[in-house]
Amino acid sequence: MNHVFRRHVGAALVLLLPALLFAGVFLVYPLANGVYLSFTNASALRPTSRFIGLGNYEYLLATPEFYIVLFNSVVLVGGAILLSMVAGLGLALLVNRRLPGVALFRAGVFQIWIVPWISVAILWGWIFNADYGIVNYMLMGIGIIDEPIGWFSGSTTARIVIVLGFAWRMIPFMMVVSLAALQSIPSEVLEAASVDGATPVQRFMRITLPLLRPMLVTLALLQLVKLFQEITLPWILTQGGPMNATSTLSLYTYKLAFQQWDYGLAAAAGTVWLVLLGLVGLIAMQFTRRSF
Amino acid sequence: MTIAPSVEMFDLRRRSAQVAGYVVMAGSLIVLQFPLAWLLATAFKSRGEVFSVPPTWIPREPTLEPFAYAFSPIMLRFFFNSVVIAAATAFTSTLIGACTAYVVARLRHWSSNMLMVFFLCSLAFPLPLLMITLYLTLSRLGLIDTYFAVIIGHVVLTLPVVIWLLKGFVDSLPVEVEEAAYVEGASLFRIIWSIVIPIMRPGFTAAAIYVFVTSWNEFIFGLTFTTSSSMRPLPAGIALLFLQEFQYQWPQMMAVATTATVPILVLFLAFQKHFVEGVTVGAVKG
Repeated sequence: MNHVFRRHVGAALVLLLPALLFAGVFLVYPLANGVYLSFTNASALRPTSRFIGLGNYEYLLATPEFYIVLFNSVVLVGGAILLSMVAGLGLALLVNRRLPGVALFRAGVFQIWIVPWISVAILWGWIFNADYGIVNYMLMGIGIIDEPIGWFSGSTTARIVIVLGFAWRMIPFMMVVSLAALQSIPSEVLEAASVDGATPVQRFMRITLPLLRPMLVTLALLQLVKLFQEITLPWILTQGGPMNATSTLSLYTYKLAFQQWDYGLAAAAGTVWLVLLGLVGLIAMQFTRRSF
Repeated sequence: MTIAPSVEMFDLRRRSAQVAGYVVMAGSLIVLQFPLAWLLATAFKSRGEVFSVPPTWIPREPTLEPFAYAFSPIMLRFFFNSVVIAAATAFTSTLIGACTAYVVARLRHWSSNMLMVFFLCSLAFPLPLLMITLYLTLSRLGLIDTYFAVIIGHVVLTLPVVIWLLKGFVDSLPVEVEEAAYVEGASLFRIIWSIVIPIMRPGFTAAAIYVFVTSWNEFIFGLTFTTSSSMRPLPAGIALLFLQEFQYQWPQMMAVATTATVPILVLFLAFQKHFVEGVTVGAVKG
């Protein structure tokens, strides 16, 4: 039997109207207008703007900084996703048994996911402080380094700090979702394999991982989209420095728009970002054999 | 005789696997919670002790002085702004999201599926790109530096997730009850009011908490769409103070970071079950 809405199309439309209006005014229009602005020289510092074709894109592609920024986004976001997925899935595998107290552990880990980015940023600034930071103190204590590292003054170390910050905040989510997915795998399958003599590693590589793959790809994609937007950590900790080493596409685009007030150029950077994520999404869809 | 030892062996192996499980759990919990422990340890230290070498784990002379700053008038103002914005966003997003999710889940029409795909894709829309036009529009309407501007930004951020979350929730509810009520002659309004809304309440809770937490944590809309310090939400307000005058006042900043975290932590602990389910179910189902 058809649902009542089939006979009340008007009511359905009324209920859909707020979301449609909102999406139109605050999502579709800003996106379309943003793409349009990328072909103009619009700026808050200029009273009028005119169409300049691909001028902004040509400028961006001729700017070395833009490539550094793209590279940073890939390295920082990719590194954080990889790290948090391995750690999250690892933790999930380890606690995926019927142990009393797992719920408590899960809550204890998941609580980190609640910590606001601003708190993470300030905390990271203190923990990785060159002179009084606890990380330097501990590393010196166990003899890994002889003198304090200026974490935020070197390109590589600054990137490491950002990746660790991203990953720390993401591990809990990865763990909880992986755990939920692991528990949805029927135990008969794994038991049957183990009766047939499969080692734990074989069971993981041949059964668990393939079954989890669609979930992992989806999860990685969601986190990719989310971390690409994330701006607080580099903003507070390094302002994109040193030498643009931690300037991500989002920070770069944001600064172009709201510090240099060059809307046209920022819109072009944003459009490149949109196209790149779109391509990644299309490629990733090939790896999950299901539609959203 | 031959079975007994092997059962014992099995038992021993299971026992040691259990112990190993607890060791790993405790170890990873310590590593993951370490930054938060250090945050708390620092927040109660005096100006002198924070720079002492070697650092102290438990403050020798614990002081509440850093928290005096965390509860200063300007901080309380940021706090208040964040509460208003997060509550208003939670209400708006959940209300619009619930209406949409219910219709989409029950209609099962190609056009409503397209709408779902659109909202999923909208998560990938670059925020700075959207913000340019939003900023231009809001400032033309004279709405920059109002709660309204920030709330709009936060609804943009959360509405797509809420719609997906609640659609999953409605999908898991049996449609037969509503059909039966309709056959019995109940009006659509009556069905929604007396059947759908009560049954969706746990979904509302999960969605509202998700939105509240997201809005509370959000930095960039709050920073850009407000200009006077009395309108700043907590993250933007803290960020500017940290970068401007309080860069080296670590105990104060740790106290501020603590007070920014505790309210949503309490919210999370109170509604943990709803929240974890609500947030993870969408990701697992994909």
